[in-house]
Amino acid sequence: MENVLIKEKYDEEKIKSQSEDELFYFVDHTSLSSERITAPRYSYWRSVFRIFFRKPLNWFLVFILLFVLVMTYVFPFFVKFDQFENVSDLSTYSLSPSAAIAKYGFSLKWILGTNGNGTSMFYYMWFSARISLSIALICGLINMLIGVVLGAVWGYNKTIDTVMNFIYFVISNVPYVLLITILVYVIGHGFMQFIFALTITGWLSIAYFFRNQVLIIRDREYNLASRCLGTNMFKTVTKNILPFLTSVIMTIMATEIPSYISSEVFLSYIGVGLSADIPSLGRMITIGQTKFLTFPWEFWPPVAVAATITIVLYLLGQNLADASDPRTHMK
Amino acid sequence: MTKYVLKRLGFGLLSVVIVLFVVMTMIYTMIDRETIFNNDSQLSKLKYNEKEMYKVNKLFRYGYLDYTLYGTFVSDRFEEKYGEGYTEEQEYKDAVNAIQTESTYLDNVYVQEFKRTYESKGYSVVYLPKVTNSRGQSLSNANLYAKRERTIFERMGDFFKEMFRVETIWDVKDDTLTDRYIRFEWDKRSNMPALVGSGTTHKYLIYFDNKFPFIHQNLIHFSIGKGSIDKNEGREVIDIMNESTGELIVTPQVLPGYLDSDDPKIIDSSSDFHSVTYNEKATDADILNYGSKYSNVTLSNSKGLSRIGNSFIIGIIATVVAYIIGIPIGILMAKRKGKLADLLGNIYIIFIIAVPSLAYILIFSMIGTSLFKLPNNWSLAPNVPLAMVLPMISLALPMIGSLMKWVRRYMIDQQNADYVKFAKSQGLSKGEIFRKHISRNAFTYIVHSIPADLLSCLVGAIITERVYNVPGVGGMLTNAISSYDNGIILGATVFYTAISILAIILGDVLLAKYDPRVSFTDSRG
Repeated sequence: MENVLIKEKYDEEKIKSQSEDELFYFVDHTSLSSERITAPRYSYWRSVFRIFFRKPLNWFLVFILLFVLVMTYVFPFFVKFDQFENVSDLSTYSLSPSAAIAKYGFSLKWILGTNGNGTSMFYYMWFSARISLSIALICGLINMLIGVVLGAVWGYNKTIDTVMNFIYFVISNVPYVLLITILVYVIGHGFMQFIFALTITGWLSIAYFFRNQVLIIRDREYNLASRCLGTNMFKTVTKNILPFLTSVIMTIMATEIPSYISSEVFLSYIGVGLSADIPSLGRMITIGQTKFLTFPWEFWPPVAVAATITIVLYLLGQNLADASDPRTHMK
Repeated sequence: MTKYVLKRLGFGLLSVVIVLFVVMTMIYTMIDRETIFNNDSQLSKLKYNEKEMYKVNKLFRYGYLDYTLYGTFVSDRFEEKYGEGYTEEQEYKDAVNAIQTESTYLDNVYVQEFKRTYESKGYSVVYLPKVTNSRGQSLSNANLYAKRERTIFERMGDFFKEMFRVETIWDVKDDTLTDRYIRFEWDKRSNMPALVGSGTTHKYLIYFDNKFPFIHQNLIHFSIGKGSIDKNEGREVIDIMNESTGELIVTPQVLPGYLDSDDPKIIDSSSDFHSVTYNEKATDADILNYGSKYSNVTLSNSKGLSRIGNSFIIGIIATVVAYIIGIPIGILMAKRKGKLADLLGNIYIIFIIAVPSLAYILIFSMIGTSLFKLPNNWSLAPNVPLAMVLPMISLALPMIGSLMKWVRRYMIDQQNADYVKFAKSQGLSKGEIFRKHISRNAFTYIVHSIPADLLSCLVGAIITERVYNVPGVGGMLTNAISSYDNGIILGATVFYTAISILAIILGDVLLAKYDPRVSFTDSRG
């Protein structure tokens, strides 16, 4: 209150000391400024992150995600790892963490014991996680991209809709296991081949889901109006429909990316996973499950890593989806 | 509605054909056919031409190609010409032996005729010359055969041609059988009437007994292909799925041939004498014991369920339990959104989504065995119902998680709908709104997936069955793939496709029955 009084007094003195010409001048009328709408500045993505980081849980999740990313993508550059380094020494096989530390001395490498080939579980786990996470991210990205783009066109165009519906109905009936098995069998068990097998039809279910979403909002009044004004299909899809579905895309992503980690585990278990020389979480869990009572340290670490990655990605995706809904931004 | 269902069924049938076409193309052209010999122990024992012929025969059995041996061709020609005793003819012996000399075999008229006939039919004639060692001793006889790749359309044609087969009195190709009929007779074994045939493959075409489903038929056979290798070779895929998994039941039974006699011969046997088929090579003893040449017993009496029965019982109980538990919990979570119950439920849902299914099945199995002393291995369990408990729990718990997730999601979506606000403003109690309005609308989504959940029990669960060593059908497709059993792969594919199509149609029908707003009579969109 006092500050305001002081300021008023100051302004009064300032005005008195100036002449008329100094105080007043003509302002021209510009047509441009009359068009300007005064509203609080709003940036979509800034608002998304503002809402997103308001929750302390999300900070924690991002922190864990960063930790996992560092361990999977940065850590492997600093250590040397060979799956078969101790394969000739039978005494190193399946050592418990305490036995391994007693044998080699305390170090990060032996903190989780050794596996059935005598190699470090800790290193093996992170090298596996790198492969599995890469598969999940790459497959997720490819499938989402194809799925969303094709799904949008599929839902928007009625001619394409009939054709695609038929293709979907047929392909979705080919057993998933059969398709992947034969593909992996024909093109090989390598990393890129595996991604190809997972993405060749993987986009179809996403596209179908997305098609249904597009169908719901395609004929809304605002789109009808837009079409009447002559907006072409590309612009309607990219400017009118896709922004509306950002949170849906986020929700699909939240379940889609983690599902590839589970898929990889499942396929490894039924024997159509990656080849034996590529470390992956699926392979580790498959080997570990046969001895999960005798050598539990060979089973639980990969399960824990797989679960952590999935939970973090799932929760982050869900929360990002919530935050990307513009209706939450006004709060 | 009927029109819609018929249209969908027709569409589904077309889909089965296309799926079969895609899968056939995949397994017959994309997989290197040499792989079927990978784990063949018999092949490594064979050498030279025998090895080649074994390979050709195996490729034939797998459905890759058709082939005819020169020997068979010559026999057929001479049998036409000279009748029964043709093997004694010198001309026949010459014709058969002609191929043994590589330099002159093409001069023989029968070889020429063989080549001409089959090459005009599009076959390629392959000649395997005689193999001799350095001292001139014969190691392997020469062989001549014509082979032809089968096209995908022939394979498809055969598949659908063999899909339905009705037994007729002309099934048995035995000239000694003169009395051919189908008639009703009094079956002394069951003391019931039965439809009995002579000349048909099976003797009893329709009969009653004390086994589920009590009335059985052998009149119309439905087939979705046959297995191609090892113990499954030539067996119907449906029979493999219906294969009994329990121990055999051995009881004293009267032999069929003595049913009318005053001094019946009784033996301890597990044979199901109603399943006899015609045996052309039946001995006199067989005819005495069985009363006719129908002496080939194809089924046995055994305890326990079939493979598909095990999978189905486990699956169906797990599904029912999951619905009984999952839906109320989902509703509770929606009612107490943001409270402790919701939080705990969400943690469980995330656990089910995040942890790989293999891992949580093992966790459930560990908890079950250590805390409740439940058997975690089918073959070591004291009895079947007890062995089914852990697989059921392992199947039900994830299903509960997913039901909770969807019920909660739909209920919460409906809670924000305008009609709920209106109902509230009209003074309806919260319970009433939930019971009469929200849940009814939310369940329309759930109703659609009920048939799919129930029917998928017939398919079995791959991981669960493998972990607990359950003799079910879950591993059928994966096992067939790993052993390159083309017949079973195709059969399983058709079966799975049919189930999924049926599930969608039934889901639509159920939805239309449950939700009066849904109608399929006029086209929407």
